[in-house]
Amino acid sequence: MNPLIIPLSHVLMLAALLFTAGLLGLLIRRNVIFILMSLEVMLNAAALAFVGASAHWGQTDGQIILLLILTIAAAEVAVGLGLVLQIQRRFKTLDLDVVSRMRG
Amino acid sequence: MTGTDFLALSPIIALAVGASVLLLQIAFLRNLKLTTGITVVTFLACLFFLFYITKLNHQTTPLLLVDPLSTFFSIVFVLCACITTFISYEYLKNRPGRNDEFFLLVVLATMGSIVLTYATHLASFILGLELMGIALYGLIAYPHQDDMSLEAAIKYLVLSGASSAALLFGFALLYAITGSLFFPDLLSGLASPEVAVGPQSPFWARQLILLGSALILAGISFKLSLAPFHMWTPDVYEGSPAPITGFLATISKGAVFAATLRLYVIGEFHNFPTIVTGLTILSIISILVGNLLALRQENIKRLLAYSSIAHFGYLLIALIAAGTLTPNGISAIEPSAYYLAGYIFTTLIATGLIAAISSSNNEENANLSDIAGLFWKNPLLALCLSVSLLSLAGIPLTAGFIGKLYIFQMGVEAGAWLLLSILIIGSGIGIYYYLRLIFSMTTDPSSSRSTLAPALPVTVSLITLTILVLYLGIYPQPLMEYLLWNT
Amino acid sequence: MELLNLLIILFIGGAAAWVGEHFSKGLSRWISLLFIAVAAVSLLEMLSNIPAPTFLKDPITKDPTTWLIHGRADWIPRFGISFELALDGLSLLLVVLTLFLGAVSVIASWDEIDKHQGFFQANIMWTLTGVIGVFIALDLILFFLFWEVMLVPMYLLIAIWGHEDKAKAAMKFFIFTQVSGLLMLLAMITLAIFVKDANGYWSFSYFDLLDNNLTSSLATFIMLGFFIGFTVKLPGFPFHTWLPDAHTQAPTAGSVILAGILLKTGAYGLIRFTVPLFPEASIAFAPIAILLGASGVVYGAILAFGQTDFKRLVAYSSVSHMGFVLLGVFAWNALAIQGAVMQLVAHGLSTAALFMIAGALQHRLHTRDLQKMGGLWQSMPRMGALAMFFIAASLGLPGMGNFIAEFLVLAGLFQVYPWLAVVSSAGLITGAIYSLKLIQESFQGAPDDTLTPPDFSALAMSAMIAMLIGLIVLGIFPQLVLDISQPVINALTSEITL
Repeated sequence: MNPLIIPLSHVLMLAALLFTAGLLGLLIRRNVIFILMSLEVMLNAAALAFVGASAHWGQTDGQIILLLILTIAAAEVAVGLGLVLQIQRRFKTLDLDVVSRMRG
Repeated sequence: MTGTDFLALSPIIALAVGASVLLLQIAFLRNLKLTTGITVVTFLACLFFLFYITKLNHQTTPLLLVDPLSTFFSIVFVLCACITTFISYEYLKNRPGRNDEFFLLVVLATMGSIVLTYATHLASFILGLELMGIALYGLIAYPHQDDMSLEAAIKYLVLSGASSAALLFGFALLYAITGSLFFPDLLSGLASPEVAVGPQSPFWARQLILLGSALILAGISFKLSLAPFHMWTPDVYEGSPAPITGFLATISKGAVFAATLRLYVIGEFHNFPTIVTGLTILSIISILVGNLLALRQENIKRLLAYSSIAHFGYLLIALIAAGTLTPNGISAIEPSAYYLAGYIFTTLIATGLIAAISSSNNEENANLSDIAGLFWKNPLLALCLSVSLLSLAGIPLTAGFIGKLYIFQMGVEAGAWLLLSILIIGSGIGIYYYLRLIFSMTTDPSSSRSTLAPALPVTVSLITLTILVLYLGIYPQPLMEYLLWNT
Repeated sequence: MELLNLLIILFIGGAAAWVGEHFSKGLSRWISLLFIAVAAVSLLEMLSNIPAPTFLKDPITKDPTTWLIHGRADWIPRFGISFELALDGLSLLLVVLTLFLGAVSVIASWDEIDKHQGFFQANIMWTLTGVIGVFIALDLILFFLFWEVMLVPMYLLIAIWGHEDKAKAAMKFFIFTQVSGLLMLLAMITLAIFVKDANGYWSFSYFDLLDNNLTSSLATFIMLGFFIGFTVKLPGFPFHTWLPDAHTQAPTAGSVILAGILLKTGAYGLIRFTVPLFPEASIAFAPIAILLGASGVVYGAILAFGQTDFKRLVAYSSVSHMGFVLLGVFAWNALAIQGAVMQLVAHGLSTAALFMIAGALQHRLHTRDLQKMGGLWQSMPRMGALAMFFIAASLGLPGMGNFIAEFLVLAGLFQVYPWLAVVSSAGLITGAIYSLKLIQESFQGAPDDTLTPPDFSALAMSAMIAMLIGLIVLGIFPQLVLDISQPVINALTSEITL
């Protein structure tokens, strides 16, 4: 009943790689745009895992989650880019370290 | 969809209708008073439906389970959202810019919190979480002329997005094992991965479950700001407009905790020693870090941020202890629901008061010096804040004490002596900074400038909350019975 | 539940005093006095309804119907927590002492407090409410509630109207009591859970919890929780470090309440809860407790001698005197406990009076430094004479209450631990030394002509005279007090033998 040509484990591994890459990007990059892109990569890695698992189980549920994630990612980035515009306007830079004044 | 389905969804529908009306109204006619009115009516309608369905226990499609416990949480959230609306109106009415959309976002975020509370399916869980999250990004950044709020918003967006991604990835791994997105099916398979048809051998299935659970745990810890995932909290609380600090600290955290509680109970996560150990470590670090870092804060919002870290550490004790008490972990519900409700009302008093002070001169006044002399300028509000702080410190006659009593009882019955001693140490440290706030309210008023006389709705809201906190502390039996009956 | 009236009257009195300030400056002081008087009358009224022989009959500790007054109503049935108030001879003595010293503290604050008088009086009244609640609550959680709630108004008294270092002192006081209180709460809950497992139902009632069959190691841990909670408040060595700061920095009325009443709640807790609830564990622990008591007696006396601050000296002398209470309780024979109870009353009166004198001096001279005083007898003969009297009482001069108390404790202790009794009696000698130093450096010596402060006012004199008479009566007719507490102590010592 396995309709996948590629084994699920490979899909999950690729997704994990993408997720790690996104996470690293999020931690290393200082530019807000790149951080948002890394965020996208992380979300899409999760989406990929869902699609793979969904194909493995022969269900459509996981693919619907993919659609949801795409929508959510789009909404997040829409707000994020709005913030980026404001940040550029106020600080004349997109470096998050410069923007960051408060210290947690 | 049957009639019962519609009835069960009526609170959410009420909010959705309210949000649509608000959108139309703002498009045609900008009027802050009218917007506030519509928002309040929306919340009141939602509350009405919620009270109507308090006894309903109904699975509405696989997505949402409307049960008395979630309805109780929703009532708390909507009540707080309603009070937030009053406070926000005072806060916004004299501020420059177009402030109408603020209330639209508040309605949407509240809707997200209710969906999240009712969610029994990954799709509704994610939808609720993100509806709340994305609306909050907008709310935090609302005073976009303010550098701090921009900084807070982008920090919150990035970290909240990353934690959502971690949550999703964790769920994807679990889904790969069990093949269902409906929580009871998704999670029931986890207890016995040998039975579930995994992608690999049972050994790998176990590893995947652990990895997935760890990712989910990390994601949730971010949202609940448990140490060591707490770094964003003080900055975001400080940078947000004061009413939204309240929203973040109460409704947003509360909804995530309510969802976590449901996941924990359904998934029987207490059967995984690794997860319980993880929770224990998170709890200990949160209590210590939260309390210790709160000691030196001069900004009340930051102080409340650290104190909320500590309080969610206390709250975790109920979850950890529950597993050893009853086989299905269900005993966690009563204590944590009581504690959470008390904590939410208590914290909203404090943040509401900061918002009230900040409303008087259109700045963000959240420093210790801003409440100096409050006892002599406005004794009533000072009394409210004192009750709130004493409740946070767990002094009797307040909701915080009953919450602590519950945690003690759970801890003793489960024999969690290490956690209890950490709890005592944490509370001991905590008293210091809560008392410091009370002390600064008693200092000479000459050091601070304006008198403080907030508008009637704000005063009434704060007094109502104070009475609620005292009521929960003095006569807790009705709510205890209600929660006990639910479980 | 007539005892509830007592609490309600005092609580409302506090609120009324706060509101009264807005009508007329100074009104709130009269309101406080009035409500204390009303509370006293209502207490008398309650007592007059009890047939006289009941006072003399030994009650049965486990049977609340044999107590003077007992009432119980459900409060939080979920955990078996009830609103249970009861009164026996021991509580009666302490309640009367509280009302009396409450009135004294209002008088002590008469001229001293200018700022926010109404709120000040409110806090005094609320502290009294909490203290009386502690003395009459027989449900453990209710007891804990009063125990903690009385801290808040006391904290405010020190933090708002205290002297130069008030914030730190108030904080220290609160944190010490609160953290030890949490340990006690933990002990209470653990005890209740074990009794629940045995009985099958939740109860925090004292009378239900007396019948616990705890294993000895568990009982020791729970007992320690209670012991630490109460000894911090007492204060026993080595938990006394909050006391000198709090007493020194508090306003006069605050010091009077702290030393006169609040410390007594710790002693009361030891007699009422720690030993009766855990007799075996207490036997095992008694030597250590007595050692701590003896160390407190000697250590407090030595430190008192080294002080140059009037209030600090009196504060350390309290540590020494309260050490005797710890000795008396853990010697656990009728003689020693009687001595401890007597010490509570006598020390309450003498220390309250000394703090009033200290407060009056500070108010007039703006210093508490003994080196800046001297020869004050000249300008304030009345105050000087009173100071001489109360210092003599405090050092244990025969003929006054303190002597009877300390003598009884030592006599009782001698039966059990003769050597420690010998060591502790050194406290009497050192007590004489620091007390005489106090009077010498303040009132005697060469008069300083630049210091001509006014003497005590008539109102203050009346309070002082009342305390003076009280101490003499205690010294000459100690049986008056002993008779009230004797039945309770008989009952306790016959039911529990260490």
